[in-house]
Amino acid sequence: MTSSNFRSWPLFLVLGVISMPLVIMYVYLFVDTVTDTTAGSLIPDRFTLHHWRFLWEEPETGRVSIWTVTLNTFIFAICTTLINVSASVTAGYALSRLNMPFKRFFLGGILTLHAFPTITLIISIFLILQMIGLYNTLIGVILVKTALELPFGIWIMKGFFDNVPWEIEMAGLQDGASRFTVWWKLVLPQVQPGVAALAVFVFLSAWSEFILPQVLAPSGSAQVLSTYLSNLIFDDIKPDFNMFKSVGVFYALPVIVVYLIFNKQLMNIYGGGTKG
Amino acid sequence: MTTLVSKLRQSTAAAVLAVTAASFAGDAFAKDLTITVWAGGSNDSDVYRLDAIEMAADMLTREYAINGEELNITVEKKRDFADWAAFKQAVTLAAEAGDAPNIVVTSHLDIAPWSQAGLIVPVEDYVDMDAWPLNNIYENLIEITSYNGVVYGLPQDAESRPFFFWKDTMKKLGYSDAEIDALPAKVESGEYTLANVLEDAKKAVDMELVEEGYGFYPRVSNGPDYAQFYQSFGGEMLDKETGKLLLDKQAMTDFYQFFVDAVEAKVTRKNHIGTEWDQWYAEVASGKAAMWHGGTWHYARYTGKEGLDDFFGNIQFTLIPAGNENGRANTITHPLAYLLTAQDNEDDVEIAAQLIKIASEPRINTLHAIKSAHLGIAKEQSNIELYANDRWAAEATERLLGQANAQPNHTGYGQFSQIMFKGLETAWTGTRTPAEAVAEVEAEMKATLGDEVIVR
Amino acid sequence: MRRAHLLGLGFLSPALAIILMLFLIPVLLTVMFSFTNMSTATGISGGAYEINAASLRKLSDAGAQESFVETLGKEAFVVDDAGITAAAAAYGEQFANEVGSQMLGERFDSRRDLERAFRKLKSRPRSTRDIKKAADLFKRSVLNVRFETAGGLLDAVTGNGIEMTPDQQELLTKTIYTGWTWTSDNFALMAQIPYVWRVAGNTLMYVVLTLAASVGLGLFLAITTFYLPSGTATTFRAIWFFPRILPNVIFVLMWKWLAWDTGFLSSLLGNFGVPPRNWMLDTGANAWVFIVLINGIVGASLGMILFGSAIKSIPQSMLHASEVDGASRWQQIRYIILPQLRWPIMFICAYSTLSLLTSFEYILLSTDGGPGGATEVWSLMAFHTALDNYAGNLQYGLGAAMALMLVIVGILASLVYLRIFNFNDLVAKPRIEQ
Repeated sequence: MTSSNFRSWPLFLVLGVISMPLVIMYVYLFVDTVTDTTAGSLIPDRFTLHHWRFLWEEPETGRVSIWTVTLNTFIFAICTTLINVSASVTAGYALSRLNMPFKRFFLGGILTLHAFPTITLIISIFLILQMIGLYNTLIGVILVKTALELPFGIWIMKGFFDNVPWEIEMAGLQDGASRFTVWWKLVLPQVQPGVAALAVFVFLSAWSEFILPQVLAPSGSAQVLSTYLSNLIFDDIKPDFNMFKSVGVFYALPVIVVYLIFNKQLMNIYGGGTKG
Repeated sequence: MTTLVSKLRQSTAAAVLAVTAASFAGDAFAKDLTITVWAGGSNDSDVYRLDAIEMAADMLTREYAINGEELNITVEKKRDFADWAAFKQAVTLAAEAGDAPNIVVTSHLDIAPWSQAGLIVPVEDYVDMDAWPLNNIYENLIEITSYNGVVYGLPQDAESRPFFFWKDTMKKLGYSDAEIDALPAKVESGEYTLANVLEDAKKAVDMELVEEGYGFYPRVSNGPDYAQFYQSFGGEMLDKETGKLLLDKQAMTDFYQFFVDAVEAKVTRKNHIGTEWDQWYAEVASGKAAMWHGGTWHYARYTGKEGLDDFFGNIQFTLIPAGNENGRANTITHPLAYLLTAQDNEDDVEIAAQLIKIASEPRINTLHAIKSAHLGIAKEQSNIELYANDRWAAEATERLLGQANAQPNHTGYGQFSQIMFKGLETAWTGTRTPAEAVAEVEAEMKATLGDEVIVR
Repeated sequence: MRRAHLLGLGFLSPALAIILMLFLIPVLLTVMFSFTNMSTATGISGGAYEINAASLRKLSDAGAQESFVETLGKEAFVVDDAGITAAAAAYGEQFANEVGSQMLGERFDSRRDLERAFRKLKSRPRSTRDIKKAADLFKRSVLNVRFETAGGLLDAVTGNGIEMTPDQQELLTKTIYTGWTWTSDNFALMAQIPYVWRVAGNTLMYVVLTLAASVGLGLFLAITTFYLPSGTATTFRAIWFFPRILPNVIFVLMWKWLAWDTGFLSSLLGNFGVPPRNWMLDTGANAWVFIVLINGIVGASLGMILFGSAIKSIPQSMLHASEVDGASRWQQIRYIILPQLRWPIMFICAYSTLSLLTSFEYILLSTDGGPGGATEVWSLMAFHTALDNYAGNLQYGLGAAMALMLVIVGILASLVYLRIFNFNDLVAKPRIEQ
């Protein structure tokens, strides 16, 4: 809006005031990691890299190295993304385009699960993992995270497939290609933005996941950054907010990078999945 | 379902046994194994809970070597759990999954439920309780780590939970040095009671020696400490005759009423529960509170991180005073114990048992006791210089440990204590009156514990 | 079946397999668990039979005769011929002979006494564990022995010369079983515990307040950023979008720092003479403000984007026309923008109600239901009951029953939503076949 009737500075002011707490929290989140502040004061007065010592110092007795944990988190997030996206892409296509028995039932089921109290199932999930021997392993947590997010993924992908014009497939079939080839060569490229959006979304969601690894993989070898950070905060002999924040920033860096690169694709998923 | 799981377990167990048997047949003398130790609620100063096992492993390896057997033990240590709840959840689930750590360091209260579930095995099945160093451990501690007459765990440390007075504030209230020195005895004899605590705390607030809400400054979260106040008013947790839990409604109401009175007199904050521990430690160690209660291990924190150089010049400590004529001055000891979990391979359990036995050596245990300001577990520790020369360990052992009792090992006690604390919270925060809170507690205890609780 | 059908099912199968295994079966198990008394003490994977002090107490409570209970509870180690034969087989003739010659017929009240006696023998086994095992060969009681099956227990009891009537056998195996049993008590229990009702009230309050906050704030952000120049708008959107993608542990850490007694608020207000305190947990009301803010801001991020894209799809000409007609900004919002947002708002309400009902991570990490249970909500209570409490008494059965309530609410709500959002439109017929 450019009309002078619609001056933007009052809006800017109101919005600025409301956003202030968040901005303050963001700013201090970064500033505090490299400075020290005298108790009771608000302004940092010394520069230091001391709070980042967890990156190079040996972990203390009974703790795990941050690098192992970071590697775990990457494995966890990337595997979850790969499995989730591949299963969603095939299932989404099947539900959108293919004819099969019980389709209504499947679609209704997926929709119901999509809005389901997942986390309340964690006790039973534990039992299943125990039976198949995947409790306390990263693979177990990956599969569970995938299962719980799949309905959402399938639902989103179905939405993207629905928007692909039928003519593309018809033309492919008339040229004698099989249904599978048509899907692989012609349809899939059409939904690439959807795949990217879903992948980014699932990656971020897995990167943040806290409860599942906490409950289902408690031992050190499968720890991820979220549990690492929350366990660190507990230690009440040496509470060091600046160090917590440094770990927090370290943990948040990939999220910020992903946001800066894939910002557009992310908006796609939030905008796209709900037009129906 | 159940049978399926147990079948599955049995077959895995059989497979594991077969594999181990096969691998042992070829190479009988070299043995590599990994022993996992998890410790709950452990801070940096508690690392000897884990390191002691490593020291023991070194010793055991040497003993085996002398007998011509090659034993290589890798000790995997873990203590980074978010809190006690997360630790217990992790141990329970891991044990259910047959993936439990070999050794856990946890509260003796876990012995009852965990042994019923078969998650832990009796330590007395693997070690000679008549031999050194186990025959030197205090008998009452061994009793605390026993259940149904079977010794399930070895005490790892002892402690107790005293009442603290800030001397300077007490002096300003009119107590002479001699009177302050005599306080422990007066508390023990029941001369100085919780009523006096309220009175003095109120005076301290009224005279503006401390801020409002800082007259009496209790623990900020659930813990065994609160059962002490129930005992102060004559409550018993266990009925000795029937072995059942006991809810003494009168004592419970008086106990809740004490905290409500404290809030009304403005000596304790209404929103006290949930205060951050860091804030709490900093405040009590700098004299912001007139009176409070804590644990013997707080000594390490006050004199360490909080920088209180002259502990004995500033703080007096006593038992928790009696509440009224029904109760008594008391303190609760809440020892942690080394427990052995059930494993498919019994040889591993035996090695683990030997490790916790060696870790109970007075000299090794003293390292933990002094570093973390806990009390010792064995009589001979008073003959070890490191322990004997530590004023805190010596005085606290003498003044508190003799009067200390433990909470009962009973499968329902966890729920009992949780409901008791929930009731306290609702009364304290003013959500319910003490009488209403006790009625809620009674309803919930009867519903959840059924026959296992006697209401009096 | 036609090839196309197979293709469809084939495409669906990986997803179906994962969902079935780790989503649907858990739902069924939750239903099953909620009808059991499963807890830490009973274990999950089945129980055992053990006669000990605690189970004997239960046995006499259940009405067993005193004499029966007493016989069962007697500990006895008897050096008899059967034991000596067994010892000979396991630890050699020499040891067995020594036991036989010195101790035959002796009775011991505990294994420890027998062990002590053994240790005096010259040819005893030289490892502690073997001595204990040898002693167990002379055990003539079932006290403190764990039997995996009822049959095993009964055989052992009879083997020790204790006769039982069938009634007694049944009573014995039923009472001393350590595992879980079927029960429908969990639901009655929930209704009886006053705390549960308070939590139900909290849950309602939580959903309503948070929903109001996130929809209100989301609308406000979407509309204001719409009127701002695009550069500024993008910045503000980024500020408000981050809470959604920032890991929740970090987001809560930021709020804790803000509210901590040595944190930002306390330091800031300290300049005006306000004593420092933990603003988040100071009172129940404070805790609620923070809970609603934390969750509301995360919800508002989603709202802002959904509403924003809906506003963008309003034809520019409509807005221009209204401006020409002299509509004020408020009128424009009221008569043009808001009506367009009806569906997105409904969607957000429907979607968020369910996700708020079931998500508790932010509350767990920030107040953990405190102070004094003031901010405990249903899903958190289920989690605390089943998996996470200080006493470590994990009540899987009761926790599952609590979770089941949410499962039921979730399914009912989804069915209603399916009707509102017109399910039939979503199931389009494939145009290639038929």
